[in-house]
Formats: sequence, C-alpha cells, structure tokens
Amino acid sequence: MDSFSSHSSMGSGSPQISAEDLKDQLKNQLAQAYAQEFLETVREKCFDKCITKPGSSLSGSESSCISRCVERYIEATGIISRALFSAPR
Amino acid sequence: MDPSSLNSAELERFLNQEKERAMVNEMVAKLTSACWDKCITSSPGSKFSSSESSCLTNCAQRYMDMSLIIMKRFQSMN
Repeated sequence: MDSFSSHSSMGSGSPQISAEDLKDQLKNQLAQAYAQEFLETVREKCFDKCITKPGSSLSGSESSCISRCVERYIEATGIISRALFSAPR
Repeated sequence: MDPSSLNSAELERFLNQEKERAMVNEMVAKLTSACWDKCITSSPGSKFSSSESSCLTNCAQRYMDMSLIIMKRFQSMN
C-alpha cells in the first residue's frame, strides 16, 4: 500500500502537518546532516595538516594554520563543484 | 486542491529532487576529500597556488573520465 497516499495513514491521532512544513523539516534535517558531515571532514583534514605533533597546548602557528586550512577546504569544495558542473569539458 | 495536502506524486517528486541533491553533495564532498589529499601536500597557505587549484580541477575531471571508463568496462562484461 502506498503509505503516502492519504493523510489518514500519516498516523491517527497525531497532529496534521502541512506539506510545506514537512518539506521544510526534511530540508532542514538534510542540511544539518550535510553540515555535520562537512564539519567532521574539515576537522579530520585540518588536524592531519596542522597538528602534526600535538604539544601541551595549541600553538599560535597551529591555530593560524587551522583557520587557513578551513578557508582553503571551503574554497577547494567550490573548485571541485565548478570543475564537475560548470567547467567546459 | 487543498494546499496543505501532500499527495504521493508530489512527495515523490520532492523526495527524488532531494535525493539527487544529496547525491551531488556527496559526490562533491567525496571528491574534495580525495583531491585535497592528492593536491594539497604542504601546509595550507593564505591562498591556493595556481598549481594547487589546477590540480584540484584536473583531479575532479579525471575522476569523471575514469568513472566513465570503468562503467564502460563493466558494461562490456556481460
């Protein structure tokens, strides 16, 4: 049975939620999941690049490396995206 | 039509669209990770060198070329 075919199948007794609300919720959750994954990747990449020998505290050069690394990783994401979808092949 | 009702055709279209978007995002994320490892070998500077940015572009495009070859190779197996 098509579980999306009627409102009644969305759960009896639960408050009705509008189509737009459902879409917004889905989009928000997807965006949140994407952001979390992106953050985790950036952490991993920049830890590899910038914290090569963990000391007793984060040094100034390490923290400036981290901010540069984060900026470059975001830039790299844009470059890859353009290379795939807008560059002439 | 009741604007608040969600019919299955509309929901399916919406889900497919989001699925496609998610696949694109995943592809970009995966390639960025792989190409970052290949192209950015030194500690990241305040801007990319021209060789780093062209390496990233080439890396993504060659990956697509490779995918095509692999797909063709597997299609010819049956």
